[in-house]
Amino acid sequence: MVDLLEAWLLRPNFLAFVILFLWGLYIMVARHNLVKKLIGLYIVQTSVLLFFIALSAKTGATVPVLVPAADGIQAAAYANPLPHVLTLTAIVVQVATLGVSLALVAVIYRTYGTLDEEDILKKLE
Amino acid sequence: MSDHLPVLMFLSPLMTAIVLPVVGLARRAWSRPLALAAVSVMAVLSLINLVVVVNHGTIRYTFSGWAAPLGIEWVDDGLASLLMVTVSVLSLLAMIHAGFAEPSSLGGRVVPYYALILLLIASLTGIVFAADLFNVFVFLEVAALAGYALVGVEGGKSLVSAFRYLILGTLGSSLYLLGVAYFYAATGTLNMMDLAERVPALLLSKAVVGGLIFLFLGLGIKMAVVPLHGWLPDAYTHAPDAVSPFLASLVTKVALIAWVRIMFWVVGPNAEIEHVPVLILLEEVGAIAAVVGAVLALTQTELKRMFAYGGISHIGLILIGVSLGNATGFAGGVFYLINDAVMQAALFFLAGVAGVRYGVRTLEDVGRVRGYSPWMTGALIIMAMSMVGFPPTGGFFGKWYIILGALEARNYLAVGAVVLATLLTLAYWIKILERVFHSGRPSSVASPLDLPISLKVSVGTVSAAIILLGLGSDPIIWFLRTVAVPPGL
Repeated sequence: MVDLLEAWLLRPNFLAFVILFLWGLYIMVARHNLVKKLIGLYIVQTSVLLFFIALSAKTGATVPVLVPAADGIQAAAYANPLPHVLTLTAIVVQVATLGVSLALVAVIYRTYGTLDEEDILKKLE
Repeated sequence: MSDHLPVLMFLSPLMTAIVLPVVGLARRAWSRPLALAAVSVMAVLSLINLVVVVNHGTIRYTFSGWAAPLGIEWVDDGLASLLMVTVSVLSLLAMIHAGFAEPSSLGGRVVPYYALILLLIASLTGIVFAADLFNVFVFLEVAALAGYALVGVEGGKSLVSAFRYLILGTLGSSLYLLGVAYFYAATGTLNMMDLAERVPALLLSKAVVGGLIFLFLGLGIKMAVVPLHGWLPDAYTHAPDAVSPFLASLVTKVALIAWVRIMFWVVGPNAEIEHVPVLILLEEVGAIAAVVGAVLALTQTELKRMFAYGGISHIGLILIGVSLGNATGFAGGVFYLINDAVMQAALFFLAGVAGVRYGVRTLEDVGRVRGYSPWMTGALIIMAMSMVGFPPTGGFFGKWYIILGALEARNYLAVGAVVLATLLTLAYWIKILERVFHSGRPSSVASPLDLPISLKVSVGTVSAAIILLGLGSDPIIWFLRTVAVPPGL
């Protein structure tokens, strides 16, 4: 038990990821307002990005731009660029999702005059 | 030239989807011929591609010259080439059908509709070919975004369904991305070939097991496997009639294929976690989905909703088939997947026609169809035969090989689940056909010739395809067992 706690506390990045992920999930389930549900969704998405960044963190490494050195290229001296590139792509995808979802919410608001899920379901019947 | 076939098949709808809104701004009427041309080109290319793959073996396409583990790779093997024929031909038929359903059900949004449909088809192509976990994620998201917009394009009730689809679908993508992150953390690579060398040795690692669970949860939401199917019935029922055939026949099946790729080409069919074979777990999930989906279908009163639950049940059957751990079951499962894509397209064509043309939306009204159109009734009977699994339809041979595979694996639970799901399917089809023939209102109001040619072509072709798939099942099963079979099965 103590070992587990110690292992958690030594990795605050991952702890933050877990908290954010579950928090976002909770907001998605518990809130009735559609925009708040979307906020929960973005927290979940962003927490996954945090996970990517956290696992690629490296102390003492530099930006992955190769500089010719006398003793050849030291791979260990550079940060791994791939997780960052993946994160960048995932952000682009999320921005597109944000656009579509906010457009949907805007049309729902114009159609039903409310953003509360319960009210909308009542009006649907 | 033939080396570039996969990417040409992808670019044909994608480029048209980008050009189309610009052209549509000036000439709205051009959007439909343009889209049809793009998908026709794609269908022809996919047939050529199938021949090339059968004769010359797998095509491996690397983008911008970066070789496999570093760059992004597409694999055009037996499975992918056969699925691309299914995807492109069904897209073409669904698009021909859309010409009939579109004006009344899209509220005049014709140009964005065609652009989004082409984007959806392009991204499905990407999912089928991609041999890179992150590439699959990107295409899943593009397909899903096009899907959300398409479900909601009509406005009104469908908006709420689209929103629910968006919430759950995006959550599914996030879970999939998390699974990709776990796999990357454990192995340091995203290429499926590269992963296949490293993952089987790492099955004791919690990161790989966790990643596998997250990948399945993410793709499970996309393919609507039973406890995760909540978004599907509403989305398919309320989607415009020009949209639901695309979604029902292609989107869930392609997500399932993405999972098959990961399960068989990366993790391997013999994978065990703590002495529990992964395939057994999958097969049980499939059995639950097959039975529960059919039970839920039986309780529905709305036609499109009933077909949607029927599709959920079939996803379960396909999962049972592919996870039996032998080539017979795998071939039966994939063959059933192709059949199911055709059947779902056909069912939603019919439901669309019945809704748009005759105002038939519920089981109560379905009796009116017979009076209006004997051809549609005939097509409905062929669907029913194939859904239940009477010979000589494709549905029969799919289930036949799944059961043969289950007997070969001595897995009697799977046999029982397939038989039970079949009986339940028979029950809900009896419910539909009983209304068709015994509702006592076959009075002819509209003449049978009333149906436009685009509709006759689409419904006639899918009905013929269901019979042809059954009659031609031997070569397809042979192809699936020898050319498209995953390594180690």
